[in-house]
Amino acid sequence: MPARSFALPVLVVAGCLIACVAAATMPDRGAGVADGVVETFLERNGAVFGDWPKPKAVLVFTGELDGYIEPCGCTGKENQKGGLSRRQNFLRAFKAAGWEAVPVDLGGQVKRFGKQTEAKFQSIVDGIRGMKYAAVGFGPGDLRLPAEELVAAVAPIGDEPTPYVSANVGLLGLDANITPRFRVVEAGGLKIGLTTVLGDAEAAQIRNDDIEVVPAAKALAPVAAELAKAGCDHQVLLCFAKPEETKALAAAFPQFDIVATAGGADEPPRELPTLPGGARLVELGHKGMFAVAVGFFADAAAPVRSQRVPLDARWGEASEMIDLLANYQQKLETLGLDGLGLAPIRHPSGRRFAGSAACEECHQEAYDVWKDSPHATALATLEEARPRRDGDPECLSCHVVGWAPQRFEPFEGGFAGMAKTPHLAHQGCENCHGPAAAHTAVERGDVRATEAERDRLRAELVLSLDTPEGKEKAINNCLECHDLDNSPKFDFDEYWPSVAH
Amino acid sequence: MAWQGPRAWLVTVAALAAGSMVGAGGAALRATLTPWQIGELAPVVGDVPADAPRAEVPETRHEFGTIGTGTEGSHRFAIRNTGGGPLTLSRGHSSCTCTVSDFEGAEQGSAEATKVVPAGETAFVTVTWKGKPPGGPFRQQVTVLTDDPRRPEIALVVEGAVVPTWRAVPESIALANLSASGGQQASATIYTYGPESPVVKGVTIDHPQAAEFFSLATAPLSAEEIAAETGATGGFRIEVTIRPGLPLGRLRQTISAEFAMPEDVMVEVPLEGNVGGDLVLAGPGWDSSRQALVLGTVSGKSGLRTRIFITAKGPHRDRIRPTVEETVPQSLQVTVGPGSPVGTGGAVRIPLDIVIPPGSRGANHICSEQGPAGRIVLATGHPDSPTLSIPVCVAIGP
Repeated sequence: MPARSFALPVLVVAGCLIACVAAATMPDRGAGVADGVVETFLERNGAVFGDWPKPKAVLVFTGELDGYIEPCGCTGKENQKGGLSRRQNFLRAFKAAGWEAVPVDLGGQVKRFGKQTEAKFQSIVDGIRGMKYAAVGFGPGDLRLPAEELVAAVAPIGDEPTPYVSANVGLLGLDANITPRFRVVEAGGLKIGLTTVLGDAEAAQIRNDDIEVVPAAKALAPVAAELAKAGCDHQVLLCFAKPEETKALAAAFPQFDIVATAGGADEPPRELPTLPGGARLVELGHKGMFAVAVGFFADAAAPVRSQRVPLDARWGEASEMIDLLANYQQKLETLGLDGLGLAPIRHPSGRRFAGSAACEECHQEAYDVWKDSPHATALATLEEARPRRDGDPECLSCHVVGWAPQRFEPFEGGFAGMAKTPHLAHQGCENCHGPAAAHTAVERGDVRATEAERDRLRAELVLSLDTPEGKEKAINNCLECHDLDNSPKFDFDEYWPSVAH
Repeated sequence: MAWQGPRAWLVTVAALAAGSMVGAGGAALRATLTPWQIGELAPVVGDVPADAPRAEVPETRHEFGTIGTGTEGSHRFAIRNTGGGPLTLSRGHSSCTCTVSDFEGAEQGSAEATKVVPAGETAFVTVTWKGKPPGGPFRQQVTVLTDDPRRPEIALVVEGAVVPTWRAVPESIALANLSASGGQQASATIYTYGPESPVVKGVTIDHPQAAEFFSLATAPLSAEEIAAETGATGGFRIEVTIRPGLPLGRLRQTISAEFAMPEDVMVEVPLEGNVGGDLVLAGPGWDSSRQALVLGTVSGKSGLRTRIFITAKGPHRDRIRPTVEETVPQSLQVTVGPGSPVGTGGAVRIPLDIVIPPGSRGANHICSEQGPAGRIVLATGHPDSPTLSIPVCVAIGP
């Protein structure tokens, strides 16, 4: 064999060996996740940390969870990104690789209001504590909750400090000192100063007398002065504001070399833009589907690198977060609909529900089509999930009869649990056609009605695809549940044939 | 480890090499990236044969600007082969909510999933984005894989903002702790994005029996307010004044506003909140679901020090001066601090410093059958709630 042709394979093997050693230190999957899963999501969502050498430290940004404590499982959880469980495993992958990670969160854990949101916020903060976040900010959705609930979730527990940090938001007033204004952490020999603010436009939406919010720039001035004195290698501002407001704050306080913003697009950009003052702007996307890692290196040519990380199934699940989700679901189950404050609301028609079985008596053909469709077993999917989700109003609302899907509330006479209303289980006929109790009562002869009244009740339940208005009404009705989160590929014309009746 | 001969060594190297391929996501060779580039498929560094293909992309990012819900935006990206040999293109990973065409030549209509582009020619790929509710900024990415060793992957990005017909900000009004004896004001802004300015036809609240507690009004937005919202062309504000006297408990109303632009539109803005008394407790250990201060098991040797707060609201908030009347267990010491306004002054915060001194005697008030709850009883100075009894769950051990 000529010397040259021998040298090439040796070099290739040596190169592979070097790459292999490097790859072994790259956090590219959760512990125990199979190669096939990793390869599927590499192909679908791209590789991560492909060429990174070991950094001195990595800041891991998350935020704008918007209540998505886990990704919705309606289209197969494995197809969705996000959730605390994958996030925990992602953070663990750094540790397994020997990389020092500092997780920070922009805030915006929840968006809604009420007892379920309070329970969810508490669970999310418990999860954040478990993941040892160095700094967490407040989003406007968080601050809609009652202060006593926020304090209970956020306040220090014994010797364990609060993960929350805010320059301008004070639960029960800034001088109550429930949360510090800034924090300095050390990682990989670097000193990193961290603070968060809520933008002024976001603060204007909050009506909560128990919370003090100082204008962001005013609050940042003394905090920035303190951070400047702390001798930090890097200073980081997490700003829950639209990008325009964040950029203005970054310009006013150029000492921050990394600035995270809310209100960006649904996906973070591939590369972090550099602002006029030199700071790098971090966007996080929506619903906690991505994390953004910013690594610091002892390399003058490339001192800082960034990587957006899709939190997909390659990261696997963390048992603690599965337990946390189970506890959250258990809490919802224990509270029940009454404890969650879900008093039934009046249906716009004012009518009551009969249940799908009542339709079978006269509409056998249509009923048979429904019975063979996944709609007819919709509640079972929640009962069979682990942990089961049939006590979760945010899931129930599209899996039973008689709920307002986007309000997550029951209508009067709608599903109220299997013990009370088993006939209203699953996604039934009346969710599209309207409540039919009066119609069925008349048709059965249980109540007397004139012919005109009978015809009117029949007509009210007709949903025709033969007119543009009728079709639009039908499509809009479908979209109440087949929305972007739960049915991103929904197309009425494509889906309708499988349930046509 | 004992030497096992060259054969074992080669097997180990091969296994490591295979592992590197998996760990590196299947990329053949990699190189150091410049700062701020992300580490996806990276180019080969070094000499490239003269007959290698070369993918050049005049633009990798397209800004759609604003597009309406239900409408589509499309952009045709060009990929030119300026190298010496044929360039092979195939689809890589992409965001799932945009549509990506197959590759076309200069002539549209003969698309191919994998395209070989002869040297000097150009291929095109079209990315289509359909605006879906609820609107807002979007960014979608498509990747094209190439056999150009300098550029094995091309990321094509489309960005923009989907504007709905109208939008309520906030989507719902939340009033976390509304004092029954105090009033409250709130508002929601309706932005519109059509060519016509909205004409408000009426605004109502859904429960007529609750109407006596609410006043509703609308006001047009100023030009500055409209300009501050991306893509908005008009809008109005719904202003809600809530009068004292609402019943205690959960507040759930829906404000409906009807307007024409010129088609009639009905907007519903939920109004949610908790109507409570004038005195609310908060702080570490306060369990609102149990309505008790849960201190748990405390070492009598080291004791405990904590702080909770009373927040006072309503018309009497500045007159609340709590004094301690009783504590159970007796070793529980409570000091009431001075009141101070929170934020804009709608509430007054009064600290309660709670101390179980080191050396306290054992006691069981853990809130069980064997250990009934302890308590802190305060005289408040509030004319309607002169006494506040706070249940305390605590066990003092040795």
